[in-house]
Amino acid sequence: MIMAHSSFLDVSGAEKSFGAVTVLGGVDLRVAQGEFVSLLGPSGCGKTTLLRAVAGLLGLDRGTVKLDGEDITAKPPHRRDVGVVFQNYALFPHLTVAENVAFGLKARRRAAAETREAVTQFLELVHLSALADRSVRALSGGQQQRVAVARALAVRPKLLLLDEPFSALDRKLRETMQIDLRRLLRELGTTSVFVTHDQDEALTMSDRIAVMNRGAIEQFDAPEAIYRRPATAFALEFVGLSTMLAGTVTAQDGTTVAVDTAFGPLRAHGNFVPGAKVLLAVRPERIKVEPAGDFAFAARLRDAVFQGSKVQLHFEAAEGDRLMVETADLPHGVPAPGTELKLGWAVADTLIYPAPAS
Amino acid sequence: MKALRDPVVLLAAPAVLYLTLLYALPLGWLLAKSFSGPAGLTLQPYTEFFGDPFNWRVIGNTLGSALWVTVVCLAIGYPAGFALARAGTAMQIAMLVAIILPLSVGVVVKAFAWQIVLRRDGVVSQFLVALGIWDEPQRLLFTEAGLVLGAANIFLPFMILPIYSVVKLIDPRLSEAGATLGATPSYRFVRITFPLTLPGVVSGVAFVFSMSVSMYVIPSLLIGDRFQTLSTLTGRSFLFMRNEQLGSTTAVILLALAIAVVVASSWLARRLGSTE
Repeated sequence: MIMAHSSFLDVSGAEKSFGAVTVLGGVDLRVAQGEFVSLLGPSGCGKTTLLRAVAGLLGLDRGTVKLDGEDITAKPPHRRDVGVVFQNYALFPHLTVAENVAFGLKARRRAAAETREAVTQFLELVHLSALADRSVRALSGGQQQRVAVARALAVRPKLLLLDEPFSALDRKLRETMQIDLRRLLRELGTTSVFVTHDQDEALTMSDRIAVMNRGAIEQFDAPEAIYRRPATAFALEFVGLSTMLAGTVTAQDGTTVAVDTAFGPLRAHGNFVPGAKVLLAVRPERIKVEPAGDFAFAARLRDAVFQGSKVQLHFEAAEGDRLMVETADLPHGVPAPGTELKLGWAVADTLIYPAPAS
Repeated sequence: MKALRDPVVLLAAPAVLYLTLLYALPLGWLLAKSFSGPAGLTLQPYTEFFGDPFNWRVIGNTLGSALWVTVVCLAIGYPAGFALARAGTAMQIAMLVAIILPLSVGVVVKAFAWQIVLRRDGVVSQFLVALGIWDEPQRLLFTEAGLVLGAANIFLPFMILPIYSVVKLIDPRLSEAGATLGATPSYRFVRITFPLTLPGVVSGVAFVFSMSVSMYVIPSLLIGDRFQTLSTLTGRSFLFMRNEQLGSTTAVILLALAIAVVVASSWLARRLGSTE
């Protein structure tokens, strides 16, 4: 595991408002050297603003940005040593592929031989050597993205920022390119911050994910931890699917609370006073259908969606609730809608949050 | 007969007909006239024309004034095109109106207005004296500087508008990308922004140069007969001297020069604009 304590990039107290709208409300973000961190959140959550502030393309109202121990808050972008892959790639349309990659090296007045060598090396790394003398306008979306990556990396920046670099690509291409890019960045040891609204992308690529909502980071943790133990109801909703049941706490017993729901009483680990409105959640693959031992309750199947390696079962639930199960283990085949099935799960798998204010 | 039913042919027909009758035929006549002497085909009008040092002065006047007008328009119009493209919506509309509305005022009217502005007691003179640049009022009217000043004002919109339209299309993220690659603002301008505006510069220069190389009314009113250009000479040959031979010869030379300069400058710009 990466040492999360030594911070290579250190953003603290970042605040930014546009007029009356607060886009960043005092964000702290610490990224270790060589780490790949995703900023994940819906549009308008402030992730792109944070990225632009780190790149120096946007000034912060308050807060500091430190990179490699140096305060770069007041530095203009061209003196920060922070590379960016833009969402639309922002390739220079009047230059060829090789000239685009060489741009940063020439701007930094590197020796011609060094520039040539770096261009050759990075075009090879992104498998574009054959297209070096092509105009970038003649390239496909995937090729353009690779030029943008090679151009940003060729100057060996201390930090690479990626602003939704896969959003313009089709799904299949996106998946292979995610893996390729992740491998390349790992080989080069480049510290990277990646902005996305796509949870699958974030889960696939990241060492750690910062889940952002309304200008704040709600949870900053490894992908698995975020999926298994979402810190807030927002993180739960945004990352992965889950069953969600509204309820009211009826009793507390040590570390466990009893909650009354539309499907009867359920139990979860948590600390809530009786009478508190809560939201219970269970990840769909944690729920067992027709469990051998204890079960939580029976529910009527509304829909079964066959997805190849697994089946998704949707059950009838009260308004505002959602009850769904993903399972690969259905010994009697896919049940018909309308069947009543017993569902069960471990108390430890029950996530509990204060009910979101509606 | 089938070709007549082709919509492309039908759509182009009025324009072709109009241009053939009113432009190509008279131009052909002009060309033929300049090359024909009493004994058939001849180059004599041209050898005669180029043999006279006065005519070389006329060519110099024509190209010189057009060049100056183009340079002044470019120097003012290039930053103005940027200002226009990067201004806020309301400001942009106000500026566009300010640029386009004067186009509806005739050239003659504007040239007369400049006559008043450029007089010894005109606004320009008073202004320069007030600033202390000039010691006493001077007349700019009937000087080459006055001609360039007036003509540049009249042709300026034709420089600003094409530059404005290319600047508007440049993605501001390109300059940001340059910055994150370590390029200083001036390096970004030279290597990214300027090359991308070249197409606009080329069309602006082509517009202004071809209009100012052939201007007739403006020099007549702002500088007078002592400063002859190819177009004023052409006019005089037809209207006053009744010398159709000379008139058609100067007209053909003017046409050839204008085309050569415009073609050469766009070729040069394309070379500069392409990769180094």
